[in-house]
Amino acid sequence: MRRSSGDAGAWLIAGLAAVSLALLLGLLGLLLKAGLAPFWPAQVDEIRLRDGSVVLGEIVVADAVALALRTSELERIGGAYRRVPRDEIAAQSQPPDADLIVLDDGRRLYARGDADALVAQAGGAVSSHVQPNALGFFARVAAAMRGLAHFLGSAPVASNLEGGVLPALIGTVTLVLLMSLVAMPLGVATAIYLHQRRGFGLRLVRGAINQLAGMPAIVYGVLGLGLFVHGIGAGIDRWFYADRLPVPTFGSGGLLWAALTLALLTLPVVVVSVEEGLARIPAGLREGSLALGATRDETLWKLLLPAARPALLTGLVLAVARAAGSVAPLMLVGVVKLAPALPLDGTFPYLHPSQQFMHLGFAVYDAALASPDAIRGVPRAYACAGLLVGVVIVLNLSAILLRNRLRDRYRALES
Amino acid sequence: MPANPATCDRFLSQDFVRHAARRRARRERLRAGLVLAGTAVVLTGLLAIPLYLIGALLPWPHLPAEIGARLGVLLAGSARAAACAIAVALPLGLATAMFSAHYAAPRLRAWLKPGLEILDAVPTVVLGLIAAATLAPWLKLHVATVLALLAIVPLALLAAGMAFGARVRREGWLPLWLLPLLLALVVAATAIAARSEAPAIVPTMPWNAALVGLALGVAALPTVFSVAEDALFLVPRAQSQAAFALGATRWQALTTVLLPAAGSGLVAAALLGLSRCLGETMIVLMASGNTPIGGFDPLAGLRSLSAELALGLPEAAPDGAAWHGLLLAALLLLALTMALSLIADAVRERLRRRLRSGGSAT
Repeated sequence: MRRSSGDAGAWLIAGLAAVSLALLLGLLGLLLKAGLAPFWPAQVDEIRLRDGSVVLGEIVVADAVALALRTSELERIGGAYRRVPRDEIAAQSQPPDADLIVLDDGRRLYARGDADALVAQAGGAVSSHVQPNALGFFARVAAAMRGLAHFLGSAPVASNLEGGVLPALIGTVTLVLLMSLVAMPLGVATAIYLHQRRGFGLRLVRGAINQLAGMPAIVYGVLGLGLFVHGIGAGIDRWFYADRLPVPTFGSGGLLWAALTLALLTLPVVVVSVEEGLARIPAGLREGSLALGATRDETLWKLLLPAARPALLTGLVLAVARAAGSVAPLMLVGVVKLAPALPLDGTFPYLHPSQQFMHLGFAVYDAALASPDAIRGVPRAYACAGLLVGVVIVLNLSAILLRNRLRDRYRALES
Repeated sequence: MPANPATCDRFLSQDFVRHAARRRARRERLRAGLVLAGTAVVLTGLLAIPLYLIGALLPWPHLPAEIGARLGVLLAGSARAAACAIAVALPLGLATAMFSAHYAAPRLRAWLKPGLEILDAVPTVVLGLIAAATLAPWLKLHVATVLALLAIVPLALLAAGMAFGARVRREGWLPLWLLPLLLALVVAATAIAARSEAPAIVPTMPWNAALVGLALGVAALPTVFSVAEDALFLVPRAQSQAAFALGATRWQALTTVLLPAAGSGLVAAALLGLSRCLGETMIVLMASGNTPIGGFDPLAGLRSLSAELALGLPEAAPDGAAWHGLLLAALLLLALTMALSLIADAVRERLRRRLRSGGSAT
């Protein structure tokens, strides 16, 4: 069958769809690669220059004209980068007996033979000591896993250049939990209201929620800063913490205000998801219950809500994913680069809602743009970004799976 | 007659029933009250944002000098970034939506939709990081390559369609077959660019509107896609099937039936995508350089309204002139995005009503 030449347009559309697909796959691939790369043990290179001197270190940047090496950081972190033009290099090797020593304060030392003397010269406690060039593949994988565990389970050192992200992780989780405690009951109540009402009230509330769902996140942050922090927070300080003024307690950004701001931001997600779940329940179920003599109220609370439980869960998961990924409003209401204490700890009352906190998303921004050592900062930002995206994707996938299960269940009920 | 404890004692049983009924009524009232209260809290909280901004600005406070010019530059910056972004998001989003709604094999569609949902969920701070740390150094060398690809890729696709289109009967999985072709084009273009001495076009600044546009376009792509796909899917299947029955090809059915019927939905998709681009903060903050520059040069840096808020508000003293200037910027941003999404909603509502009433698709 001969077809019109207009079908070339179909190829154009399919090609552009392929570009979208490629963007998605490329993005995920890049994040996976760049997010895991910082944990892969680096090689230690020994470079002999034409003037006879020897440079021992880790190649951090390589371009057509020169190499940049990190050599032993004897004085301060990020203070021993060295640029070596390629035409000055006489020989380059990766000696298997080269040592990589990481100190407690994040500094890295590279040595051959006289490791102890170098450590004594640098001054500081040794955190780890390996000979990375001598490692086999599996030993490298094991080292990468150890690095990942260290990254997840320890506190940052050297103003966020090295060490782990545990405080940021705890800050993110605490914030999101507190947010869910506020957003879930309110969102479910609103969804029930929308489900029960017809007419003007319904249109008004739904219209408002649709509009507000599209508002820029930063504007929520403006409300959080202006109303919560400078309005309500300053008021609480004047009444209850007057003895501590002018040092603010609730009158500066903190966990509570950030959680409330994020709760507002995620409310539309919860409402839409739960309402959709309630609306999708087959009408026969509801009518059967009413026909058996149950009141509207009993039908709602004993039948419809339990049947819509996966929808509630979907709403929660989507809200958490949205909250975990939004950084802009937090920058206004209390996220900090380095918090002196965790918002959740062992001292009474365990949760400190007025305290500033660290956040994984903000760590990405901070490490990428505000880091004093860009060569360490960018890989670290990618590691944080990989972790964040991993969490968000797992949450979203589970929401998608939940939704599919809900659909299957209703289909079974209808047949 | 044996005594039934529930019915024999009239007073007891009436009492019991009355109590139960009263308890139930009380419980129902309580629950209804809770639902109403929750809704009221939600509405107050959400409406608080515009009300707070207007309330704080109503006494017409002292604003910084030249606030008008400042807002103008910021607005121009936001508009330039959004224009670059929508130039990326609109063709990709609409084409992907058309493919997904009209051509895609059901199994590919079942993967495509969640895939773009995942893309929507990627935090924008991550896209900003990629733009600032990975894309910026690349784009500095490859502006000409990108322009060349923009011209070559559609031509190559059309040429391939002309050459092989008649032989391929089913387009359901076509994008997967086209992926290698695209990859080869990109690799070839990059290799050719790498052989030249210096890049043909050097951007004025390493962080510029084009860079922001690329990252922001990826962020807005899922919005455009999902709104447009919903609109296309809303068109009754009978309409396109009627076109097939009259001998139309898939492409003819798309252009003569589906697109005219869902046209306003596609406009709504563009408006919502634009609204999303205007309001986005982290990408612009990280990839635009944040220097307030006006003009229309896509290769110059910019500072947007949202970035101004994120950078300025933490430092501004509450109730100072700078603070009120920033609140005015927030109000401007809010008004812009809300106006866009209100128009988009009205357009979509009209489309939905028309298609539901089964009106003609003209």
